[in-house]
Amino acid sequence: MNKIVYKLRPSDYWRIGEHENWFADMAAKGFHLKKMGVQFARFVKDEPKKIRYRIDVCIKKKITAEQIQMYAESGWDYVTSYQFFHVFSSPEERNAPELHTDPAEQSYTLKDLDKKLARNAGIVMVSILLMFGMLFSIWFLDGTPTFVLVQGLAIQQTILTIFIGFTAYTTLQASISIRALRKDLIEGKQINHHAPWKKHHIRNSILAFFCTVVVGLTAVLPFVQLVKADTKTLPEASPALPIVRLADIEKNPALVRGESTYMGDNVDWGNRYTYEWSPLAPVQYETDENGVVPGKMWEYGSSEYTPSIHTRVYQLSIPGMADNLISDLIKRYNYEYSVEDFVTIKHPKFDHLIVHEEEELKEVLASEGKNVILVRYHGYADLDSVIENIEEKIKIISK
Amino acid sequence: MAYNGGPMTEAMYYVLLALMHPNHGYQLMQAITEVSNGRLIMGPGTLYGVLSRMQKDGLISLAEDDGRRKTYQITLEGERALRMEFSRLKAMIQDGSILETGDENE
Repeated sequence: MNKIVYKLRPSDYWRIGEHENWFADMAAKGFHLKKMGVQFARFVKDEPKKIRYRIDVCIKKKITAEQIQMYAESGWDYVTSYQFFHVFSSPEERNAPELHTDPAEQSYTLKDLDKKLARNAGIVMVSILLMFGMLFSIWFLDGTPTFVLVQGLAIQQTILTIFIGFTAYTTLQASISIRALRKDLIEGKQINHHAPWKKHHIRNSILAFFCTVVVGLTAVLPFVQLVKADTKTLPEASPALPIVRLADIEKNPALVRGESTYMGDNVDWGNRYTYEWSPLAPVQYETDENGVVPGKMWEYGSSEYTPSIHTRVYQLSIPGMADNLISDLIKRYNYEYSVEDFVTIKHPKFDHLIVHEEEELKEVLASEGKNVILVRYHGYADLDSVIENIEEKIKIISK
Repeated sequence: MAYNGGPMTEAMYYVLLALMHPNHGYQLMQAITEVSNGRLIMGPGTLYGVLSRMQKDGLISLAEDDGRRKTYQITLEGERALRMEFSRLKAMIQDGSILETGDENE
């Protein structure tokens, strides 16, 4: 039995002349076309032979027995079909007459395909616009593109949209090329049966490889994020973690942990820390901590003093994103206060320090190099104490 | 494009001409070469395209179909169209006759 060989097939199926030439060049090397698959063309290894190949276009996917018979009588053997393209071959020594002797007549065979491709291109263009619209809203609806990027939420959608966009471009290209070919034929220009194919073939192979790798990685990304992410109940002390703790700010031995408001998966969500990973922020912590000082009361009202703290910690891959991340964090998690309430302070230990104080609410956003820490604290300890703690913790994460 | 009575392509004209006698596939190609006095050699792709289009337009019809081989014949409409095209071409030749007198003057 002869050896079967698979070759990556050119993705630009509409380049008729290049395909004919490719098949002929392969046959000259002893690879004879048998079938075209979705990604690969199947060849059978045999004696090298000079064979002419011609591709006929027919909007019907199945070619008629009459047509095959008619071509065979003129010395053209039916090889295979892919979609609307039907391949015929004829050994050179057979000297068979050209299939198409009248380009203007041949242009009619492209008419239906041309219409179909134009319709496809239209539909695809509308869909891709919708997709871009959706992606745009994920990115910019909140006006916090850096945050979206750092969290790694939209990376997959973005890359997939780019690839679908590329597919749309291909569809458009097919439509334009077939239209141009049809025009050429109407004007009497024959198809170039010896069109060079190598340049496009190399480009397509590289592109196909690149797409496979990137799409593969993209598919894996959410799983990596899922596996790496974890949420645990905060331990009483966490000297190794870059997390600002309530006890360090309150400095009150009477402070005890607040009653858990919500337990799930054995995690006290009122006192938890979540670890997350994304390509642009390989280290991320998000924490909540609630405490209570028995016997002590809030100054206003008659309830017990229950300080709380929410923190976010990011170690970025690209330090340059820190400033944008801070301004996005302010925008995204701030509903009541305007951006003007946040004040920038110069501090020797931080590249950037922004604070916001409103009675017992203290918010601090600090960055140093590629590290960003956000602390939102409710309680009576002062702002400086919060900043000092951030200074300590940012040292831990910098190591 | 349905035939609208305008000028025919050369391929259409000769296929209709050849089909004044019902014929099929390979023989039809030979008949075309014959009827054009060897001037026109039509490839099977072109022939097949013209046949299917003209059949759709009602200029020709099937005389016989044994599954693999179809025999075509010209229809009344096809013959009318062919004759109209013939008179058009004849008129064009007559109009061109000034070229011949021009040659004689040389």
